[in-house]
Formats: sequence, structure tokens, C-alpha cells
Amino acid sequence: MSMDARSAPNTVVKSRIGLAAGLCAAAFSIIVARLFEVMVFGAGVAATAGAAPVQPMRADFVDRNGVLIARDLPVSDLYATPAAFWDTDEAARELAKATGADVERLKQVFAAKQGYALVRRGLSPDMRDGVMRLGLPGLTFEKAYRRYYPAGRILSHAVGQVDPDDNGVSGLELGLDQLVRGRSAPLELSFDVRVQHVLEHEMRETMRAFSAKAAGGLVLDVRTGEVLALASLPNYEPNSRSLATGDSIRNRLTQDVYELGSIFKIFAFAQAVDEKTVRFDEWINIAKPLRFGRHTINDFTNHGSSLSVPMVFAESSNIGTAQIALRAGPTRQQAFLRRLGLLDGMKTELPEMASPLSPRRWNEVETVTVSYGQGISVNPLAFAAAAAAVVNGGTLIRPTFVKQTTPQKGERVISEATSRSMRELMRLVVTDGTGSKADVPGYEVGGKTGTADKPVNGSYARSSLISSFVGVFPMSQPQYLVFVMIDEPKGTKASFGFATGGWTAAPAVGRVVSRIAPLLGVRRNDTLAAANP
Amino acid sequence: MIRTLNFAFIAITGFVCLGLYRIAEEARVAQVDLRETRASIVQEQDALAVLGAEWARVTQPARIQALSQKHLDLSDLPVMELSSLMQLPQKALPLAPETGFATVKAIAPALKPSQPKAPAVEPDGPTFAVINTGT
Repeated sequence: MSMDARSAPNTVVKSRIGLAAGLCAAAFSIIVARLFEVMVFGAGVAATAGAAPVQPMRADFVDRNGVLIARDLPVSDLYATPAAFWDTDEAARELAKATGADVERLKQVFAAKQGYALVRRGLSPDMRDGVMRLGLPGLTFEKAYRRYYPAGRILSHAVGQVDPDDNGVSGLELGLDQLVRGRSAPLELSFDVRVQHVLEHEMRETMRAFSAKAAGGLVLDVRTGEVLALASLPNYEPNSRSLATGDSIRNRLTQDVYELGSIFKIFAFAQAVDEKTVRFDEWINIAKPLRFGRHTINDFTNHGSSLSVPMVFAESSNIGTAQIALRAGPTRQQAFLRRLGLLDGMKTELPEMASPLSPRRWNEVETVTVSYGQGISVNPLAFAAAAAAVVNGGTLIRPTFVKQTTPQKGERVISEATSRSMRELMRLVVTDGTGSKADVPGYEVGGKTGTADKPVNGSYARSSLISSFVGVFPMSQPQYLVFVMIDEPKGTKASFGFATGGWTAAPAVGRVVSRIAPLLGVRRNDTLAAANP
Repeated sequence: MIRTLNFAFIAITGFVCLGLYRIAEEARVAQVDLRETRASIVQEQDALAVLGAEWARVTQPARIQALSQKHLDLSDLPVMELSSLMQLPQKALPLAPETGFATVKAIAPALKPSQPKAPAVEPDGPTFAVINTGT
């Protein structure tokens, strides 16, 4: 055998071994590279393998103390494949019984025996167990989240609702939709659930006592603009998603506008004091009703022939207030109310905000009626914001439903001195005027009563009243404003037949203050309490 | 020599295959564990969310008030019965021991900082005169 004949196979073997070694080296290189990637750059794809769990779409709403107000809770959506059922009618009946779904709708969608049909959304764990026990084929549970409101009816109007796809459709659920969506940390609202309960409880008791049609109320921090409570009665159960008899989804504090009556005198006096068109030692002649064409301005009760300026406010004399308002005149009155935000729509996080209704022609007679709160309709929240500006030192605040940590620095609308004088006048209403039933010893409650005739078919109905009271405490250093409005209260034996603000809303505000002041850490002034127990 | 190398390579390849299989299996098991742990975390989070909501429901003030009215013999607390530690009268100073005035002098400076301060009292009511109209 020649040398060439022996060397040829050796060359082939060597080249094959070289090829195999090259392939092995390449394979090891790939493994080494991958190991290097995993060790140096982390697990990468492997760690994210598997479907991401379904997460809640919306963050929790909590109150200012961290108490839960709204939360997405895990539920199951049930779907069915009708083709898998032996008897679609029987399956529809059993599923309807187990889930509470509409049996006729199920029969209809199952009859086609094709596709994928929704049986019911938001099944609770109990319902899910019930469905499992049926042993039906072709059923699929899909995990979902459903908004739940542990506080139930209270806060139903303010917090609002979401649709079945968890999109906000009303209230703060809509107004804060962008903020709450995809957020993990809870969103702290300005509400205090305890204060909300007290307010609503006292409003409900007042409604019952005076057989009233409806009521509304709020508690506002006059420095930060935070709304601590906002209640509108009747309300509704947000978790049932259906209205029971007598329920209402209407938020009277923001969606409706009212002629609020004499509580509007706060602004007539604030303007007069600020523009120095009155002196407190002045006497106003109120002996005769004022006549403007076919309009006659009367007082609710007879206060004699004249009243001092402070007592015009304290006794809520329409005749006296009208004369004071006329000194400013229509143009200045309009400008002042506009500065307070009462003639333009107000914007808050709540989307349901009604715009005010003001007179088209604003002459002397309108100046007079507006001064005592008739002929102008505003939503109560806008009124409360303007009243807060009058007592907080004179700066405008914008009501907010999100927890704040610092006072608002709004535009100055009246001077500090005017604000101080107005606080004294409002305290006088409670110590010596129509709001005496709102007094709480030691808490220096001040305020103003209001009783407005409701417009019915183009004229005012004297028997249908909106009775209200706005209270502020403590008057020496105002912190909170409490507003209560009662719709169509009926006088009782205990109130001697009266259904005015002083007899209905003022006592309710007093009870609210006495219950919430200790909760809010407002210190009682014992010297005052001892002097006026 | 080549034969030895071949055996060595085959042996190494075998060991590497076994090692890779083991790593792959461990990774698969770890992945299953991870998925189960994640599912269990989600389950626990869901349970916590439900319990939190349930707690908020059962502790809502309206329910507590209704239950206390039904089961407890309590009445509303008048605001005049509420007080704070600051409003309580200061504890009486210890009497001077019989050892003489020197002891009182010795403790007097120490007592100074805890002298009660008169609470600031805001003047109440209007600064203007209230005129009784007699109506």
C-alpha cells in the first residue's frame, strides 16, 4: 500500500474530527454566552414568562384618615359556550337561578348554540361556588374586578359610580378618573367618614322631624377648601346599582341651584362693610315695607320701626338689608358677587356642577331681591365657598375633594378687617339673633339663617320653603363651615308651626358642630362656655 | 492519543448534557414555583383587599352607632363633659418638708418651668354695642 493511499483516509478523519470539534466549540460558545447573559444581565425572558396576573384598574379611594371609601374587589365574570349544553333552556334556568341573571336573556342567547355568551359579570365567591356545583360543561370564569363602596349610602353622590368596565361615569369616580386609573397607591380624598356620618345622621333626623322632602349639607375647611363632608338626601345604595323607592341620584349640593334666601345677606353686608357704606352705630328705618313698582319688600316678622345695622343682620330684616344693598347699587353688587364666584360656573373635581342663574336685567329691584337671596340661584357648594371667603380673612378658596396639606392662597375679595367684622356679625346672629339654636357652648358658632320661598309655576309659594343655615366655628379663628339646607320642611308643634331656617337647619348645624368639633380637634373655649352654658 | 481525546470529549459532552438537563429541569421547576408563588401572592392580595373592604364595612360609623344604640346603654356625650389633659388643674405642689426652708428653695427653681400657663382666651362676641330693639 502506498503512502498516498494511507494518508487520504487520515485527512478525511482529521477534517471530520475538526468539524465535530468546531461544532462542539460553537455549541459550548452559545451555552457560555447564554450563561454569561443570564448571570450578568439577569434572568430576562425567563423571569417574565407566564401570563401577568389581572390587576385592579383603579386605585382605592380613602378618606383623610385612611378609611377605605372605594376599592376594586376581585370577582368572576361567567361566560358560556352554548354549543356544549345538552339542553340550553335547562342550562339557562339553572344558571339564572345560581347567578341571578335574567333567565329570558340567557334562553335567547343560548338558543343560537354558537359563539361565546356572557352569563353574568361580577360573580361573588358564593355565586361562583353555586355555579360550580351545577356541573355544567362549557362554562368559563374570567377574573375581573368590581368597584365596591364599603361605606354604602353615605358619600354615594360625591364619590359617584363606575360602569361595568370600571370607567368612572359620575362623581369623583369620573372627575378623578385619570388620576385614579393605573395608580397603585390609594388616593386620599378630603372627606372624613366620621364627619360625613354625623352630618348625614343629623340631616336625616331633621328631615324626619319636619317631614321634609329632601336635604343637603356640607362641611368645609375654610382655609384649605377641603370638603370634609357632602351629603344630599335622599341618596342611594351604590353597591346595588339599582334605585330603591325614594332614592335619588341627584346631588343637590352641586347639580341643583337654589334661591337660598337670607343667608345671601352675608354678601350684602360684606360688601357694605368693605366699601364702608354702613356704620355699625347707624340705625335703619324699617317701619314700612319697601315698594318697587308691583314688588313689595316685607320682613318675616315685625322688628319695630328701626334697627341698628348689626341687628338688621342678626334679625334678618329684608327691608333693612335692601336699603343697605341699594347704597352699593346694581353694578357694584354684580361686580362684588362676580368676584366671589357666584355669577360664573365653579370648577371642582366633581364634574356635576350647575351654573348659577342670575337676573338678565339687574336694576334696583333685582339689587334688592338679590341682597336677601331671591332672584338669584346658585349651587350650595358655590355659596359655601363664597361664605368661606368672607370669614377666612377675605381670600377666595376653591372647594376641593382631594386631601390638602396647606391653606389655599386665593385672590383677596374683602379686607381682613371686613372679614373680622363679618365674623362678629355672624356670631351676633347666634348670640342675639335668628340663629340662637345653633349655639354650642364653648365653640363660638356664628352663622346666618335663610328661609326662601320656592318658585312654583312662575311665582313664589309661601308654603314651600328652602330653609337653611350656614354656621362657622370657632368664630374667633374660623376653621370649619357647616351648611345645612332643608327642602320643604313642615312646621311642628315643637317649632310652634315654624319651618324657617332658625327652627330647622340651625339646630341641626348646632348638633353637627357639637359632635364633630371634638373629632376634629377643635378646642373648646371654657371661658365662653362658662359664660354662656 | 486521539482515541483518548475522543473518549474525553464524549465524556465531557455527556456530563455537560446531564448538567444542562439538570439546569433546565431546575429552571422549569423554579418557573412553576414562581408562577405558583405569584398566583398565591395575588390570591393573598385579593383576600387582603376583601378583608380590608369588609373591615371598612363593619366599622362604618353608622353601623357602630346603630349597634351601640341597640346593645349599649349609652347616651350622647355633652360637649361640656369633654376635656383635655391641658385643661385639667395642675397637681398641687408638694408641701415643704420639715427639714426647713432650704429644701423648698432647692426645689423651687426646678418647679418653675412647670408653672401652669394661663390658657389664651379669645375675646368673644361683637365689639360693637348690641341694642335691644324690644321686638
